[in-house]
Amino acid sequence: MARRAVRESLVSLAGLVGRPVRHQGGAEIGKLVDVVARWDGVTRYPPMTGLVVRVARRLAFVPASQVENITHDAVMLRSARLDLQDFERRPGEVALAKDVLDHQLIDVDGVQVIRAADLYLAPVAGRILLVGVDVSTASLLRRLGPSRWRTRPTPERVIDWASIQSFSDPETHVRLRVAHTGLRALRPGELADLLEDLGRDERQELLESLEPATAADALEEMEPGELEALLREAPPEQAAALIAAMEPDEAADALRGLVADERSELLEHMPPLTAQRLAVLLEYPVNTAGGIMTTNVVCVPAGETVATVRRRLAEFQEHSADIDAVAVVDGDGGLLDDVPLFDLLLAPDDRRVGQLVAEHPCPSVAPDTPLDEVAQGLIDARRSSLLVVVDDRPVGRILADDVIDAFVPDRGKFHFPRLLR
Amino acid sequence: MPGRFRRRTRFLAYLAIAGPGLIAANAGNDAGGIATYASAGSQYGYRTLFFMVLVTVGLIVVQEMSARLGAFTGKGLAALIREQFSVRLAALALGCLLLANLGLVVSEFAGIGAALELVGVSRYLSVPLAAIALWALVMFGSYRYAERVFLLLSLVFFAYPIAAVLGHPNWHTVAIDTVVPHFIASKDFIFLGVALIGTTISPYMQLYTAAGVVDRGIGPEEYRLERIDAVGGAIFGDVIAMFIIIATAAVIGGHGPLTSARQAAEALRPVAGSAAELLFAVGLLGASALAGAVVPLSTSYAISEAVGVERSVSRRFREAPLFLGLFTFQVIVGAAVALTPVNLIRLLIGTQVLQGLITPVILVFILILANRRSVLGPAANGPIFRIVATTSVVAVAGLSTLLLAETVLSWFGIA
Repeated sequence: MARRAVRESLVSLAGLVGRPVRHQGGAEIGKLVDVVARWDGVTRYPPMTGLVVRVARRLAFVPASQVENITHDAVMLRSARLDLQDFERRPGEVALAKDVLDHQLIDVDGVQVIRAADLYLAPVAGRILLVGVDVSTASLLRRLGPSRWRTRPTPERVIDWASIQSFSDPETHVRLRVAHTGLRALRPGELADLLEDLGRDERQELLESLEPATAADALEEMEPGELEALLREAPPEQAAALIAAMEPDEAADALRGLVADERSELLEHMPPLTAQRLAVLLEYPVNTAGGIMTTNVVCVPAGETVATVRRRLAEFQEHSADIDAVAVVDGDGGLLDDVPLFDLLLAPDDRRVGQLVAEHPCPSVAPDTPLDEVAQGLIDARRSSLLVVVDDRPVGRILADDVIDAFVPDRGKFHFPRLLR
Repeated sequence: MPGRFRRRTRFLAYLAIAGPGLIAANAGNDAGGIATYASAGSQYGYRTLFFMVLVTVGLIVVQEMSARLGAFTGKGLAALIREQFSVRLAALALGCLLLANLGLVVSEFAGIGAALELVGVSRYLSVPLAAIALWALVMFGSYRYAERVFLLLSLVFFAYPIAAVLGHPNWHTVAIDTVVPHFIASKDFIFLGVALIGTTISPYMQLYTAAGVVDRGIGPEEYRLERIDAVGGAIFGDVIAMFIIIATAAVIGGHGPLTSARQAAEALRPVAGSAAELLFAVGLLGASALAGAVVPLSTSYAISEAVGVERSVSRRFREAPLFLGLFTFQVIVGAAVALTPVNLIRLLIGTQVLQGLITPVILVFILILANRRSVLGPAANGPIFRIVATTSVVAVAGLSTLLLAETVLSWFGIA
């Protein structure tokens, strides 16, 4: 019910701008130029903190406390007299018409980058809040027409402001807003799409507001070209941290997209151990097993019990997507078998993993195996991953999805300029 | 740091082969461009060369600003215009762009018609077929391959510099006319001048350059190199254009305005002899078909970008109704107008004049955007650049206004 009341009292920002601001007596004191709101990342609906009004030739600021009410075509002030302060933006405040209307925003629920065609304000419990953003083409057309049309809200495709991730004011570059909680619930692929669609500043801001691990997951899903661009424009320290947080095979892939000097620059900024692991991966050509394998392999000695192995797997939780089996090795580290997680799950706690090792030889490939042979190996073994071994020791794992990736090259979005390449 | 330096040179090599600035500026040498340049050579000999030098300065300034806006904001020009100006002004800019590009599409289809008429195919057959073929190629995704063929065909026009040399032009006159100002105060000269501006500084190029820079992820760090691409591309494109003028002037200079594609093909005779017409037809077909798809695509992209539906809508642009509708509309209108029974060369030059009239509107937007510190920060135009850029834009706008005024006055029989 509260929602319906809100909808009926929606005021279109695009329609309100340029409308008269009146005293209580009804005398016009000036025209509305902009509505200032404050966002802090906690409140779902940012409150209006004041108005920018053109009085004679001067831009004046009217604090929200002096505003009696806002209708769709006028602003009524509370007091009879107005003390005109010059407009000055305070930290945390955003001029809605200038900085938000027509700019990029993220619709977290709909997982898309949008451009605000209109913003809707509504009085709620004595305050005026920014409640929604309109993205319909009809609203754009309404704004092109005569001013009479502009004031009429056309709330057909309105997105609740609570599901919007907004950006800070581009001039002051103050990063105000913590990431929308909904962003964390997005799949990495969805986040990657959003990153690809944003402009330079917005993209950088979104990236900075995400946890490095979340950001790294999203980067793994990005188009190689877009990822390359993003890594180029980010400061080397940040780019290096992001790559270091990616899964090793994806990280190596990302680094391959850069030229040698950029690559070594980023490797220098990484923790030595990570850099070393990546450097090994980069040695293998991209169209071989070594080129697409991940180095996240869980190796357990045959003598360990299933319970111990399960505990050990818990440490690899963040790499869970890379692990669908456990390599069982003998005392010298030589491979005995690749035991699927399903078998581990069914085995009793006190069983030794050595007892789960199958009779027949375990399927594996060498790092220099070409990709079509790897694919054939996966098909023959009827598995979703294959171990990569050197001198009988497991060094990496090939995941079926990476093989698919390698065989499905063009799955990108349509961008007009790409047509010319 | 040697490492940094090596990285730069390699990036430079990449830009040199296929930088957005180079591609955009050379796209200016399409059907309309060749018709206009050839007509200039035929009508005024070498006397438009100095004017071309001025136009080149303007092109360099404008292309540089567009590339800079793309590199420093990561956004296309249409999106920037909507963010920075009112929705109404953005609609005005895009309306102008749509009109200018429609003119270009018309000229591309006219070019296809003219090329095939040289080898004996009626344009009433070739233009509709070409329209359907281009539409289908773009729609059903095999355009990328066809495009390489078109690009290859249009390389034929590199024969012009050779033709210019083999045609034994009077190099002394060429040199003098290139450096000494030479204006003729006649309506025809102004008309041709506006057409030269329109075909050299088409709004579509600026939008393409900015979009290309954004799409390739060229950022502030690589901007110094991208500037070489933008400036170098502009110079290269215009040098080819000047060779077209010289080659035509050497062979048929002083014959008055061009009337047919057959006449324009004469300029290639020193290179190809009796095969000149065939060579010209191949090049014209390639250039026209290439631009015939790219120009409507670029309009659709810019408008979709401004409306804000370019990216979220689709992974495949076929699924975007606005994009698809605009593209189809332009191809249909372009082919239909190209079929009207008028002289093809006149039609080609006419569409370039339309470009010339609209160009100043888009240039003003670009100039204001590049002047704004709130958009570009420290990369905004400095005081000297501001003067040069403003002068260029005012000069272009002035000439366009002059033509417009004279045309309007002539309707009332005053001038």
